[in-house]
Amino acid sequence: MSDESALLREPWFDFGRQREAGKFGIWVFLGSEMLFFGALLLTYTVCRIEHPDAFAAAGRATNIWYGTINTAVLLTSSLTMAMASQAAASPARLRRLVLACLLATALLGLAFVVIKGFEYKEDIDKHLVPGAGFALPQPGAQLFYGLYWLVTGVHAVHLSIGIVLVGRLFWEFYRRELPTQANPELEITALYWHLVDIVWIFLYPLIYLPGRSS
Amino acid sequence: MSAPPGHATGAGRLWRKNLVIWAALLALLLLSLGIAYVPMGRITVAAGIVIAVMKSALVLLLFMELAKSGSLIRLAAIAGLVFLIAMFGLALTDVLTRT
Amino acid sequence: MTDALLAGDLPLPPRPDYLRHGSTIASWLTTTDHKRIAILYAITITFFFFLGGAAVTAVRLELFEPNGWLLTSDTYNKLFSFHGIIMVWFFLVPSIPNTLGNFLLPLMIGAPDVAFPRLNLFSWYLTIAAGAFTVYALLAGGVDTGWTFYTPYSSMFSNSHVFAAAAGVFVVGFASIATGVNFIATTHMLRAPGMTWFRLPLFVWAIYATSLIMVLATPVLAISLLLVIAERVLGLPIFDPARGGDPILFQHLFWFYSHPAVYIMVLPAMGVVSEVIPCFARRRIFGYDFMVYAMLAIAGIGFFVWGHHMFVSGQSALASLVFSFLSFIIAVPSAIKVFNWTASLFRGQISFESPMLYSLGFVGLFTTGGLSGLFLASIPVDVHVTDTYFVVAHFHYIMVGGSVSAFFAGLHFWWPKVTGKLYPESWAKFAAILMYAGFNMTFLPQFFAGYLGMPRRYHTYPAEFQIYNVMSSAGAGVLAVAYLLPLGYLTWSLFYGGRAGNNPWAATGLEWTTTSPPPPKNFDRQPRVDRGPYEYHAEGMSAGTDAPEVQNARDIR
Ligand code: HEM
Ligand SMILES: [Cu+2]
Repeated sequence: MSDESALLREPWFDFGRQREAGKFGIWVFLGSEMLFFGALLLTYTVCRIEHPDAFAAAGRATNIWYGTINTAVLLTSSLTMAMASQAAASPARLRRLVLACLLATALLGLAFVVIKGFEYKEDIDKHLVPGAGFALPQPGAQLFYGLYWLVTGVHAVHLSIGIVLVGRLFWEFYRRELPTQANPELEITALYWHLVDIVWIFLYPLIYLPGRSS
Repeated sequence: MSAPPGHATGAGRLWRKNLVIWAALLALLLLSLGIAYVPMGRITVAAGIVIAVMKSALVLLLFMELAKSGSLIRLAAIAGLVFLIAMFGLALTDVLTRT
Repeated sequence: MTDALLAGDLPLPPRPDYLRHGSTIASWLTTTDHKRIAILYAITITFFFFLGGAAVTAVRLELFEPNGWLLTSDTYNKLFSFHGIIMVWFFLVPSIPNTLGNFLLPLMIGAPDVAFPRLNLFSWYLTIAAGAFTVYALLAGGVDTGWTFYTPYSSMFSNSHVFAAAAGVFVVGFASIATGVNFIATTHMLRAPGMTWFRLPLFVWAIYATSLIMVLATPVLAISLLLVIAERVLGLPIFDPARGGDPILFQHLFWFYSHPAVYIMVLPAMGVVSEVIPCFARRRIFGYDFMVYAMLAIAGIGFFVWGHHMFVSGQSALASLVFSFLSFIIAVPSAIKVFNWTASLFRGQISFESPMLYSLGFVGLFTTGGLSGLFLASIPVDVHVTDTYFVVAHFHYIMVGGSVSAFFAGLHFWWPKVTGKLYPESWAKFAAILMYAGFNMTFLPQFFAGYLGMPRRYHTYPAEFQIYNVMSSAGAGVLAVAYLLPLGYLTWSLFYGGRAGNNPWAATGLEWTTTSPPPPKNFDRQPRVDRGPYEYHAEGMSAGTDAPEVQNARDIR
């Protein structure tokens, strides 16, 4: 197939094998990412065990609306990403669908970042940045917000990388009329995107839900 | 896959399947939002995390297609999980038993 | 007779080998050939090795006298910190995997390259960028936290360039992860037809196990350093006890990486030795399967023992107990390996060429270091000797006596393959013996000084310890000569060494079936594998009952 020979890279002889290796490679990398974010969550867990009340008070001070809406936005972006990847893998020629879903994914990702930006601005206005003049009295609350800024920041960096990757794919497919079918880069990007989404799925209850019931 | 060629059928089938998953994810999101306001102490906290585990299981198994991946790929995913659990387990062995 | 004729092949038409396949600087800096990237790494780590060595030379000079005659305590702190950071992350972690591993992994499994050649090159550039950060930290005034970056000193009190140094280590960590992903995918996906898992040379297994650790442990190091950086730069309170933070948490994160990382440093060394010993004993490796399982067990269990570095940190007593117990367990697979290397010598036709001398040195020094590790794993002993020179001696026996010796073993063993040149064997033997002697002179006294209570990381000490320190510093001088010698004669051999045949040691691995140096895509024909990696003699026989070709292989060369 000419589609495949255009995508074949050194050192592979067989496109199927290359594709499988790419997929396996990204999964190994995702395993690494799991421990990367896992270490951050461990830090959070230890601090929360040491300061349960402060964490409840601090969690209450977050804006649940931004958090919940953004979670919904990301979950939807995972839907469009999965659609793009599955449509590309399907034997039916679904080029238009792939392109539309890629674009939607990138835009939803951007929407997340924009909403997050508004939320950050509000946090700053409410003096939720650790340091002098911090809004909450408990010392543990500063710890919560220290981790909040760090974890959401690291997540946002990952998401931004994802947006660039998805945007680039869209552009390449659109401009250069590359075959979308069975493209290994699409598959790999999609897996990465979903993992970034999963990280947020865990951040949601840890950041926005503590202390809501007390 | 032996989906009949033609835009409508192929695309329609994909949409139907994935929209169901998406709806489940959003339902779980709302559920965890609701439970967070029910005062049950530790159970409330646990519920939030259990629901997050369920949501990520959906994404992992269906969107990331782990459910129909080969054993090699499953192994890669599980390896990360195993050592993640070890890290939490042993570190908390210290933190929870400090005097 | 040439090897090609011996093997019954017709001579192939001449074609450039990988070294002569393009000679511009740009052809090297943009190469995706794993063999050339290995050379790039080799040059880089050699540079860092001598940089780290220079720092410790000043440290050992200072310790000649008990009163701190040469350096201020501040400078001293910066020198040993720089030494540790450079030697661990810029020499020892990349040493065997990224040079020998990069070069040999595809050759040993019969592949034309690694799975992701561009990622491989990218990883080298990351290493360079990271090195630039770290060297900048030195030039700008140094960092004084020790290689361990312990909080709250590193996050709250140190006025040195913690940011640049930590950023350097953070970045080099990602180079490590990239390499690990690449090697794992290569081992899984690119084995030649017939190269089943249990026909893989143990070196490949070692690199594979190492890569697993790199991928799964390094991200946690990245987080621990990121948290330190965040605390310093953004003023977050994560490790600040006064503001509710937990400084011990840093040690958990750091050692979750750094204990497995000591196996990143020693597993590849075990792989090298497992190739060299069978070749120079003309024996199959004893207990191949056990060797494989032992390496995987070390890689796995290595993740569960980190708390033995924290017995006096304030960690809970229960945790200390658990970690102590698990640390004893991990000695079992290490011991299995030592027994199997020894058993492989039994009924062998042993010859003492330089790679073999280095390897035997490894076995002895690794065993000493490992046994002292068991002392440290028992809590009562550790409380007595922790943070003394006993610990310094322990890990240097393993990392320098063990891993660095094995690195030199591998370097000499595969030098003919990598460069196509033969080095002067008598010089190499001399250097190997000198290195062994110099090493023991340097580090054996440290066991005694430490046991008697000399703390580490101070530049002055009570006069009663001077005798040990003088011995140690003198030994360090010998060791330095022993490290400089190979730099001299190996470089010499590049220009004046004799041409090496394809298989100068009459070894059995796949890498010896291609030319020396290999062609750009490694093999002129796709290799097919139909036997195990160490068929030095018929099954069930001892080396003495071999077919004459194998017995005489050394004379044929
Ligand atoms: C038999 C297996 C081993 C055991 C049971 C063991 C045990 C220990 C213990 C308990 C300590 C902590 C001492 C203290 O700080 O008080 C220690 C320190 C250390 N070990 Fe080992 N060890 C083993 C193997 C290794 C290996 C294979 C390496 C390196 C390749 C290594 C490298 C180190 C290093 C670098 C330190 C000191 C870190 C520092 O504080 O700067 N160990 N070991
Ligand atoms: Cu350790």
